[in-house]
Amino acid sequence: MSMLTYLLLIGAGLFCIGLYIVLVKRNAIQVLIGIELILNAAILNLVAFGKYDKLYNGGQTFALFAIVLAGAASAVALAIILNVYKQYKTIDPNAVDQLKD
Amino acid sequence: MNTTVPHTDILTIQLAIAAVLLPFVACLLNLFLVKGQSKVSGWLSTLAILGSFVLSALVFSKVWNQPALHVQQLWFTVGTIPVNVGIWLNNLSVLMLLLVTAVALPVHIYSIAYLKGDDKYTRYFAYLGFFCFAMLALVIVDSLVLLYAFWELVGFASYLLIGFWFIREKAVLANKKAFIMNRIGDVGLLIGILLIYSHYHTFDLITLFGDHNILSSIPADKTWLTFTGICLLMGAIAKSAQFPLHTWLPDAMEGPTSVSALIHAATMVAAGIFLLGRVYPLFTPDVLTIIAVVGCFTAFMAATIALTQNDLKRILAYSTISQLGFMMLAMGVGAYSSALLHLAAHAFFKCLLFLSAGVIIHEMQHLKEKHNLDIDPQDINNMGGLGKFMPVTFITCIIASLSLIGFPLTSGCLSKDGIMVQAFLWADGKGWIYTLIPVTAVITSLLTIFYISRLLFKVFLGKPRITQPVEAHDGSLLFKAPMVFLALCSLFPLFSSNPFEYEQSWIYKGFAIAVHIVGSLDYHTIVLLSVNVLAIPIVFLTYRAYVKQKVSFKTGLLFKISYNEWHIDWFYHRIIVKGVLYVGAIVLWLDKNIFDGIIHLFANIGVIIGKLTAWTDKYIIDGLLAVLTSIIKQAGNFVRGFQTGRVQNYLLTMLLIIVVIYVLKTFI
Repeated sequence: MSMLTYLLLIGAGLFCIGLYIVLVKRNAIQVLIGIELILNAAILNLVAFGKYDKLYNGGQTFALFAIVLAGAASAVALAIILNVYKQYKTIDPNAVDQLKD
Repeated sequence: MNTTVPHTDILTIQLAIAAVLLPFVACLLNLFLVKGQSKVSGWLSTLAILGSFVLSALVFSKVWNQPALHVQQLWFTVGTIPVNVGIWLNNLSVLMLLLVTAVALPVHIYSIAYLKGDDKYTRYFAYLGFFCFAMLALVIVDSLVLLYAFWELVGFASYLLIGFWFIREKAVLANKKAFIMNRIGDVGLLIGILLIYSHYHTFDLITLFGDHNILSSIPADKTWLTFTGICLLMGAIAKSAQFPLHTWLPDAMEGPTSVSALIHAATMVAAGIFLLGRVYPLFTPDVLTIIAVVGCFTAFMAATIALTQNDLKRILAYSTISQLGFMMLAMGVGAYSSALLHLAAHAFFKCLLFLSAGVIIHEMQHLKEKHNLDIDPQDINNMGGLGKFMPVTFITCIIASLSLIGFPLTSGCLSKDGIMVQAFLWADGKGWIYTLIPVTAVITSLLTIFYISRLLFKVFLGKPRITQPVEAHDGSLLFKAPMVFLALCSLFPLFSSNPFEYEQSWIYKGFAIAVHIVGSLDYHTIVLLSVNVLAIPIVFLTYRAYVKQKVSFKTGLLFKISYNEWHIDWFYHRIIVKGVLYVGAIVLWLDKNIFDGIIHLFANIGVIIGKLTAWTDKYIIDGLLAVLTSIIKQAGNFVRGFQTGRVQNYLLTMLLIIVVIYVLKTFI
């Protein structure tokens, strides 16, 4: 098997692990971690397929942007989690099932 | 016609109208202004009727044996035919006008004393005034419509006065009976009037029956004429209490005696004869024969009933029926003028008899109350020997009775003999069956002698039947004066200068329309002699039977028939009233079971349909809706189950759907 295949398998594994964490965990921060794993799986795919663009290294560049955006997004997500905790005194996503105040 | 009437005639007509309206004014005043029980009402009414009497006498003097006076004006128009209303004063109207007021005046005076202390004193005079108004108007109107209206009004006044003492059960029954019996006749009269109208297109009495009447110019079917005549006759039969509608009159004696004297002896019952007189030209020979037969039979039947009655007023009532029968008979045999002569004569002497009866009953009532007796004050078996206590009543009664039996020197002699003589002349040469009628009339007048002398002897002669000491007197001048006045009027000088020749009587001459026929025998003498000669043994017989009590009569079958008034009331009650009630019951049964049954069937069908509809509505239509809503509800509940608000579940679902889409895309 080539390097690319390994990388894609690791990406798929990461994605599945992330997805599992997102669906199963009772803690919003762990869910956030799962999301980060899924993102990283996607970024790993970008980097892996980046070998077909040796001229501009589009894959790697796009991965850098994605990492930055993911950081920003998790900051926002953490802030939301903080507010949710203030409101509900819990961060279990299943307990937060009401949209109204 | 209005324009051509000279001034003096207008005045006469105005006087006549005033004479009619005076009693009505008194009636209204009594009804609305005079306080109850006030003595004013009696004198007020008497004054009004006195004025009426004077005016009538004036009118009479101007119109009698002069050309008839007539004014009329348009009342209303039916289609193109005008109906006029007016006054027609001819010999017949003015005679009746004078007669009614002349009889009403003494009755009014008498009533002042007779009704004294009655708690409905004012009302009595109001009713009496109303009656006089209606009766006077009846005789002078010129149209059949008005005639019918006033005909009904006199009937209504009679109804009110029969039931004057309306707390008595019998009086109420009697006035109802009178009203219903008269209705039967009135239906006939109304049909007759409408039949006349349908053929001649006028209600005007003068056009129909005047001197130049249209009866001869417009030809009519003979059967039709006979039928119309019988219809009009029905009205007269009911009003004048002729067989078979006579039974109301004896019962009508429940009213005050003064009322019986005025209305049920002298005036109102004579309205039937007056009607026959008014429409006389209409009658065909067939109708005239029927009139004669009805009159003759009624006269005979009523006389036989009067033989055995014990109630003083009932005897007089049947006597009245009998005498009215004589008048009918006279009309039927063409003795038109004798009928009216007898009407006038009868009015006076019968009124007098009733007024005397009133005094007697009054005194008997006093005796009853004084000694606490348990007797009927009207029963002649309880009287006797009253003659020496009440001489005026006794003498006036004798005069009236002599007049009733047609004794010479009285008015009755003139009128009754005239009727019988003309009846013989009429039957002369017509066959034996026709001769039965005058013969029956003679027998009837012999019966009259019997019953009236029985009455006189039982009341006035012999010994008093009651054991207590008798105190009776004639009463005040208010009782005596009217009776003496009427007694004088019952004698011959008022009617004729010759006491034996009825042809000499001025009333007879005033109406003489028939050609005098000379019979094969001198009936004049025969009738006069036979009646008066036979009177002697009859009076002697009754004297022995009722004063000396040496002869007694067997109470056989004939007595029972007579005593029970020929069982006519019984017959009416058993056959007609029961029959009507039976038919009513059948109709009620039919109505209840058949017609109501059908209607109930329809109703039940409707109810059943309604119930079915309600069931369908409830279970089918509502059920469908319920199923529909429950499906929607189920769907809603099912879908609601997904909306848990749990983010991870949503995510899982999303994932599954995407997986399913991929799987489907890959394998299909």
